[in-house]
Amino acid sequence: MHTDKLEHPLLPVLSRRRMLKQSAIGFGHLALTALLADQSRAAPVDPEHPLAPRNPHFPARAKRVIFLFMKGGPSHIDTFDYKPKLQADDGKELPFEKPRVQFSDTGKLLKSPWKFKPYGKSGMLVSELFPHVAECVDDICFLHSVHGTNAAHGGALLKLHTGSDNFVRPSMGAWINYGLGTENQDLPGFLTICPTLAHGGVKNWGSAFLPAHYQGTPLGVASLPSTEARVKYTTNRWLRRNQQRLQLDLLSEMNRDHLQLTGPAEELEARINSFELAFRMQAAMPAVENISEESAETLSLYGLDEKMSEDFGRQCLLARRFAEQGVRFIQVTHSDSKVQWDQHSDLKVGHEKNALEVDKPIAGLLKDLKQRGMLEDTLVMWSGEFGRTPTVQGTNGRDHNPEGFTVWMAGGGVKPGFRYGATDEYGYFAVENKMDVPDLHATLLHLVGLDHEQLTYHYAGRDFRLTDVSGNVHREILA
Amino acid sequence: MQVPFKPIAILLLVGLLFPCQASAEDDEGIRFFETRIRPLLAKHCYKCHGEEKQESDLRVDSFQELLRGGATAPAVVPGEPNESLLIHAVGYEDPELQMPPDGRLTDREIADLSEWIKQGAPHPEAGSTPEPRRGEIDWDSARSFWAFQPLGDAALPVVRNRRWPSSSIDFFVLQALEREGLKPAPPADRRTLLRRATLDLTGLPPRPDEIRAFMADDAPDAYQQLVERLLASPQYGERWGRFWLDVARYSDSNGLDENIAHGNAWRYRDYVIAAFNGDKPYDRFLREQLAGDLMEAGDHATRVALNTATGFLSLGPKVLAEQDVVKMEMDIIDEQIDTIGRSLMGMTLGCARCHDHKFDPLSTRDYYALAGVFKSTRTMESFKTIARWNENSIATADQQQSFDQHKQRIEAARKTVEQTTSAANKQLLEQLGKDATLPEKPEEKYPEETRKKLATEQAALKQLEESLPVLPTAMGVVDQEVQDLAVHVRGSHLSLAEVVKRRVPELLSHIGSPQFSSQQSGRLELADWLTHPDHPLTSRVFVNRIWRWHFGRGIVSSTDNFGKLGASPTHPELLDHLASGLIQRGWSVKQMHRWIMLSSTYRMGSRFDGRSARLDPANEWLWRFPLRRLEAEAVRDSLLAVSGLLDLGMGGSMLHVGNREFFFDHTSIDKTKYDSTRRSIYLPVVRNHLFDLFSLFDYADASMINGNRSTSTIAPQALFMMNSDLIEQVTQALAERVLAGGSMDDSPGELLADRLERLYMVTLGRLPGDDESRRAEQFLARFLEQPVTASGQADQQETERLAWKALCQVVLASNEFIYVR
Repeated sequence: MHTDKLEHPLLPVLSRRRMLKQSAIGFGHLALTALLADQSRAAPVDPEHPLAPRNPHFPARAKRVIFLFMKGGPSHIDTFDYKPKLQADDGKELPFEKPRVQFSDTGKLLKSPWKFKPYGKSGMLVSELFPHVAECVDDICFLHSVHGTNAAHGGALLKLHTGSDNFVRPSMGAWINYGLGTENQDLPGFLTICPTLAHGGVKNWGSAFLPAHYQGTPLGVASLPSTEARVKYTTNRWLRRNQQRLQLDLLSEMNRDHLQLTGPAEELEARINSFELAFRMQAAMPAVENISEESAETLSLYGLDEKMSEDFGRQCLLARRFAEQGVRFIQVTHSDSKVQWDQHSDLKVGHEKNALEVDKPIAGLLKDLKQRGMLEDTLVMWSGEFGRTPTVQGTNGRDHNPEGFTVWMAGGGVKPGFRYGATDEYGYFAVENKMDVPDLHATLLHLVGLDHEQLTYHYAGRDFRLTDVSGNVHREILA
Repeated sequence: MQVPFKPIAILLLVGLLFPCQASAEDDEGIRFFETRIRPLLAKHCYKCHGEEKQESDLRVDSFQELLRGGATAPAVVPGEPNESLLIHAVGYEDPELQMPPDGRLTDREIADLSEWIKQGAPHPEAGSTPEPRRGEIDWDSARSFWAFQPLGDAALPVVRNRRWPSSSIDFFVLQALEREGLKPAPPADRRTLLRRATLDLTGLPPRPDEIRAFMADDAPDAYQQLVERLLASPQYGERWGRFWLDVARYSDSNGLDENIAHGNAWRYRDYVIAAFNGDKPYDRFLREQLAGDLMEAGDHATRVALNTATGFLSLGPKVLAEQDVVKMEMDIIDEQIDTIGRSLMGMTLGCARCHDHKFDPLSTRDYYALAGVFKSTRTMESFKTIARWNENSIATADQQQSFDQHKQRIEAARKTVEQTTSAANKQLLEQLGKDATLPEKPEEKYPEETRKKLATEQAALKQLEESLPVLPTAMGVVDQEVQDLAVHVRGSHLSLAEVVKRRVPELLSHIGSPQFSSQQSGRLELADWLTHPDHPLTSRVFVNRIWRWHFGRGIVSSTDNFGKLGASPTHPELLDHLASGLIQRGWSVKQMHRWIMLSSTYRMGSRFDGRSARLDPANEWLWRFPLRRLEAEAVRDSLLAVSGLLDLGMGGSMLHVGNREFFFDHTSIDKTKYDSTRRSIYLPVVRNHLFDLFSLFDYADASMINGNRSTSTIAPQALFMMNSDLIEQVTQALAERVLAGGSMDDSPGELLADRLERLYMVTLGRLPGDDESRRAEQFLARFLEQPVTASGQADQQETERLAWKALCQVVLASNEFIYVR
């Protein structure tokens, strides 16, 4: 795929926009917008090959994204955002007002039960919860000032995944799939491994009003072990492959006869082709899903040899295998049949268990991508739907906190070993270089070579964007 | 590319000129600006609101732009710091608008800005005239847009081929064809027409006996009789009601954040099916859905229907765990306004929530005038997490009476328990002496006899409480305290502007702007206004929907948007002719079907024609009947029908969870069962996790109105046809049905021919051709040559059955089965 040329079908629109803006002819704002709207409707998608790879708006370092989603809201102040003042003021009142809208009432300040220490050349502070990820800090770019809009799981998940917590909007994976297409035409362009059906469910990987091609394809669900993570309908219980081949040959003949009757029709021909693609996908998918050829060393790197990390380790390993095969956007969800990271009580027990499940697999993924030379053009993003409060809930828990939390990125296009933004001295509110969710999305799109203001889709009378009407690219984090 | 220039000419904005309060001579002021204000703006604001970037449409590096402001209001009102959005934003009082976003300015900086504005905002550029931007709308010209014009009454056009038209519709279609140099395709053959009409009106393919009967019927009105029979069949309402459910974003679950069951939504679904089957006039149908609770009911059945119909307003997805309850309420109201706007008027009213509509002449004042109507409507019972939507009682008088009696019995039983307890307590106190207080568990100290008596009475109470019947309820709304709403600046309930009275949008007030009662929410007035025969949108939008559902494409292709960014009608005069026709026909939907389906336009064949295709590749002018893939429901229903598995039972709930219960909350286990063989319209519609087959085959999202489903062709559909359980179940049944034919005396050749005939008749409604028979025979033979099944050994008969099953699957997967010509 050529990313070095500034060739993109949307670019003429841009220059037209400039031309109109600069022209002294009396085009009003309305004329301009109407014109642009009409242009963008002629979306730069080849209708016959909607998933064919397409050039980004500008050269990009990251060609694909692996999004590690920690469901429930891991605590930033107990993992990657160290707050000495919180440690010092344990048991005291928070000296400023809590947010106007909270999920529930919390009490006094609660210090982190874990110790932090510096790691790597960059000396990043990481808590004892993530000793393996800590070994990778020199590759990680921490964003400490992310803040959301919604204090409930559902709203926060939807906001993070789709940019909207109150409307049905396409998910970020769908937008990227729409913007860039995908490199392997035998596989879907957007896969989500063991996603949760709760709190937005399918909406979190859906395509909403974007064409169906761009939606995420799930492998398994959160409540099932990752050994059962498969794309649906890729195996047949009663037919062998050669028997299915016979069927498809006959089907193709029948369909060609029918085409004689109707005359040339694009969609009928597309449907004939879709069966051949399905046949290939059916063969390609299990091969990627099958991890038996991986070495013992690799399995161990991902923690597949340990009971606690085996399940999530397999998910991360699958993510790497799909990334190798050219899948554009891969989401990996860490969620059990409860709300995994949601420690309203028993913070210590819960977070320790959760961290043990993901720490080694995540570090394994980063190291493996690096040793294969893939980290350079793969963007790994780690996030929960929000962080947690520095104030205590009950006696030993923390409540939801969308006001300030940590997201981290590694690989393609971000500054390695870098910290950006900050929360206040207790970790309640983002205060420095604040990054809201549209900013995060704008920056993510930028990293894969898409301009969030140009990546539009015309629907219900207007041009929609992942970032709707806002979003700033935080260039400070770009490598 | 068609560039929509017209709208701009129409929407003339008259400039609102700001009086210049600052003067260029004010040197002191300018110096203050240059030394204190400009550097501040440059440092904190230019990055996002300057030359490079204009977030929210605002730039602050020019005086004009400051006065003009961004997307919502002027940033600076000279002399009025309190009315200047800039001061509001830097003040950080409003959590929704805090500028600059990365940290509050110092108090000194804020004071400077405030002082500068108070001085009249002296600026070196002051004196130049701001560009006109907002102002009064010229209503005459705004209303001259085609969709807001009164329905036209064009005479039937003159056409050259006068033999072709058989209905008034055809004159309009033919006129356009002739104008474009096109010719209508020859009529469809009877068999094709039968299949088309049957699938179109019932969503099911014709049965072999129906095909034989129709093919043998040589009465001149056979086709007319066919249409009548189909319209009278109960399956008609299941097909056309389903279309409406797309518009009503029908779902059995809330979706969004808390996906709990709409346990009574099915009553609305059944109401819609009954409305279509009973040919309820559309104006009445619409009124009931907006204001059924406010309408008169002669009898109980009508009352039930009316209390169920307003489910239309409450079926939308809601953020039920929203902690900001005011925001939740306004979001729900917004969803209602958006749905009403797009479904009934083809207007994107929701766009005016935060700013005046960018393209259509709708203001935020119009929006909040309507929002007041829904603020005065009780959609929710409670906003406390998890919030509860309102449900209306639909109990009969008898049910209500026995419920009330039961409650009285509970009350009596409770009283008995109380009396016994208080008497026993009194006795106990007397026993314990003068100053004694009751022990923590006094009942333990009661005499044995009293304890027994109390236990019996408590058990009786418990039994009564547990056996209290659940009265039937339906999702729906009622009126509540009537109030007008303030305009919410930028859509935020935290910054309110002036209150606007409830009323209809000004744009369409010229057909009459009803006085909204101070005693009622105004839904009834709104409904009456919408169904007024002079309303330019209601009838146009609905006949366009009917046309879309018959032909796969609307006369206005953007069925849910008739605004300036919507498509223009391909046949504007026909659209108006149909819209007036609907009103003349008493808003009868079935009359519309008759009218359309008996036309030559509908009866055309779908044959390809190279010349026409070159001139009109998209078939916009209808030179042939369009080829259409079956919708998700019709795919499934057809599969079940031809395999003999379809259960035609009607109505009722198929949910496995109770009302307001989770489909799956934190667990991701979906227990919803889709293994029923009832028609697809009755399967649970679970937002966020639609039935696979539905989502694969372009079902409506069920969260948003969708009058124009797309048709995608994606590989996972093929995988479904190849490998799903449903397909296996259906092919198994179909194979058995096919193999059951023939008699013992038949030769192998006769047997094969008989079975193939049966397969083709049942599925494709025709006999196989010679080539097809030969190929099928070869397929079976080659399949039998293959080593036996994947699962292991099988006997000869079983293998043959498998081969037929595989053949059945091919036919069901074929384009011919899944496309209508």
